[in-house]
Amino acid sequence: MVIFLKAGSELRDRLKPDIDFYTRRIETEQGKTIKEILADIGINPGLVAFIYTSGKVKGLHYIPSNGQTITLQPPVSGG
Amino acid sequence: MNNGLAGTTLRINLSTGEIHRFPTDEELFRRWHGGRGVIAKILYDEVPRNADPLGPENIFIVNVGIMSGCYIPAGSKTEFGSISPLTNGHGDSNMGGHFGPMLKFAGYDMIIFSGVSPKPIFLYVDNDAVELRDASQYWGFGSLDCEEQLKKDLGEDFEIVTIGPAGENGVLFSCITHDFGRQAGRTGQGAVMGSKKLKAIAVRGNRSIRVHDLESLEKQVTGIIQRTKEHPNMEPWQKYGTSFFIRWSNDNAVLPAYNFQTTYYEDVGKIDGDQLIEQCLITHKACFGCWMNCGKYTKAVIEGKPVVHLEGPEYETGATCGSNLGMKDINHVAYINWMLDNLGMDSMSGGGVTAFAMECFEKKFITKEDLEGFTLKWGSVDDVEHFLDMVAHKRGIGEWFAGGSKRAAEKIGQGSEKFAMQVKGQEMSGYDGRWAPGMLLSYMTADIGAHHNRSWTITVDMAEGRESVEGRAKIVVYLQHIRPLFDTWCICRLFWGELDISPEEIVESLNHITGWEVTVDESLRTSEMIWNLTRCHYLERNRENGRLFDYPPSRSWEDKIPSGPGKGKGVTLEQVEKMLDEYYEARGWDKNGNPTREVLTDLGLDFAGDNLEKIGLLGKPTPGGIPPVRGEKYKPKAF
Repeated sequence: MVIFLKAGSELRDRLKPDIDFYTRRIETEQGKTIKEILADIGINPGLVAFIYTSGKVKGLHYIPSNGQTITLQPPVSGG
Repeated sequence: MNNGLAGTTLRINLSTGEIHRFPTDEELFRRWHGGRGVIAKILYDEVPRNADPLGPENIFIVNVGIMSGCYIPAGSKTEFGSISPLTNGHGDSNMGGHFGPMLKFAGYDMIIFSGVSPKPIFLYVDNDAVELRDASQYWGFGSLDCEEQLKKDLGEDFEIVTIGPAGENGVLFSCITHDFGRQAGRTGQGAVMGSKKLKAIAVRGNRSIRVHDLESLEKQVTGIIQRTKEHPNMEPWQKYGTSFFIRWSNDNAVLPAYNFQTTYYEDVGKIDGDQLIEQCLITHKACFGCWMNCGKYTKAVIEGKPVVHLEGPEYETGATCGSNLGMKDINHVAYINWMLDNLGMDSMSGGGVTAFAMECFEKKFITKEDLEGFTLKWGSVDDVEHFLDMVAHKRGIGEWFAGGSKRAAEKIGQGSEKFAMQVKGQEMSGYDGRWAPGMLLSYMTADIGAHHNRSWTITVDMAEGRESVEGRAKIVVYLQHIRPLFDTWCICRLFWGELDISPEEIVESLNHITGWEVTVDESLRTSEMIWNLTRCHYLERNRENGRLFDYPPSRSWEDKIPSGPGKGKGVTLEQVEKMLDEYYEARGWDKNGNPTREVLTDLGLDFAGDNLEKIGLLGKPTPGGIPPVRGEKYKPKAF
């Protein structure tokens, strides 16, 4: 299946967007968690505080659906 | 030309009531970039080295900087500064909201208060009208209550900063409050206001600020607005603010729990961002010129207590007053946040001091008798309420804790210094550094005592290896230059840190506003200059080698993390010493932590070097010379 990951800030450098400035297209297997998908593409899951999709915050154990867009939120740098 | 400046500086002698107006010294702002930089220079030049921070010779400065009020993103900050009663060194603290821009619209870039008023007063500013007015009827009011009353008495369109009973009574970690929930929390600026009997400042203004190139500024800002609205981080920030990071901190073993005894809190699900939004949120709040709305206006509902309204808890308060106190209900955390706001105490230090006291109670170093018949148990909001009241009013043993955890530990003894989680007298923020050595180094070397805002390295620690201290020093030095620049510019750091507005773009805005031709390199160098000046000032006031003050409490290396994902982890004393050695080398200081003649000359601070030399604290020459560039920006490696 295909999902779309979006990130800004330092996470964006690690994500290597290919769709637009913030977004990368990922082909992955059904049933994988975001944490597993991040590890597959070489992003340390510890650098993602939570994910944001469909207007809601989710944890890294969230399992995305085909075609879904997921925003990766880095930890706030103090605040 | 005064582009970007309002044009007038007020000097107010509170002992005599004299109010003098001077043209703002543009050259001073140019050299020191405004905000924190100008404050540092004035404090260094004007406060006698043996001045009591709570005495008449200390001066209290309100500085709006260049960029605040100029309609650039998040140009909202006000910077306050004085000799900190908490650390006995340079102190500065800032807040967002609307006060700074309004002060500028009234025509003022800076207010410098000296002396002590014979009676409680507040400063009234309405464009050209500047008056010291009687504040006797407000003395004793909570911070929030006072702001509410002043708005009723003067008008809703006034922007107001206040102190609470804690500041009036000289609690050393007292804060300044504004807009019912914004604080200048750190370094005890509220105590300095209180020592001068200055209860509040109320300001209203409707003038314009001239800028050098309005067309270019407008074009640039329009582009930034559009970009940031589309940024992936914007929507989560707008909806949830900073509270959502508590769970991340817990999962990654940096969340302090039970006075930094451990870094894993099993009840985090009861106090995290989900709970805040579901149970407490009323609406979102923004500062002047900001569309991020990261502020959360909330309520705390606890049976048997009045419903209270507040802004927060933010991440820091959520950590230091939540997991760090063993709280198990988000309403309790919010209530404690409200108490600290209204009593007028910094929530980071307030949480840290309370946690320290709780551990002292647990260990039977203090008793129910000491606490007027109350206990001080983990997770008890009633116990915390009573304790904070004792502290704010310096009642009984509350007086010991009113000086911060370091001073309280000195009174209590029995080895309690080990777990007074502070550096230089100021309590740590909401991160445990035992498995994040760069963060620990950041606390150790911050100029104002332990504070995350100067340098935050946890993701660097995670990327580079949490057991290693290799390479941290140079990164901390760089962060200690770039991050305080925002306190110098008087704009919010979050647009840079979270929404990818680059330092180059910010400097471009500065140049559109002022007509100066500043570069990022020049700004970083100015920030380094300020850093070294505040270090010199600290050494001159405290009369010892700097290294002596740069250690964390010994829990940091003696106690490994006992539970959770970080179980068994921690730094060693050898690693602490190694980080300090590397830090001083990276700074061009000697092994005693004292700035050398070479680095001070390089930064144009020979006058400070001369003063250090007179008291025998000038750093010894560095074999091989100082690094040509101090600090190194972190470059992420591939995972």
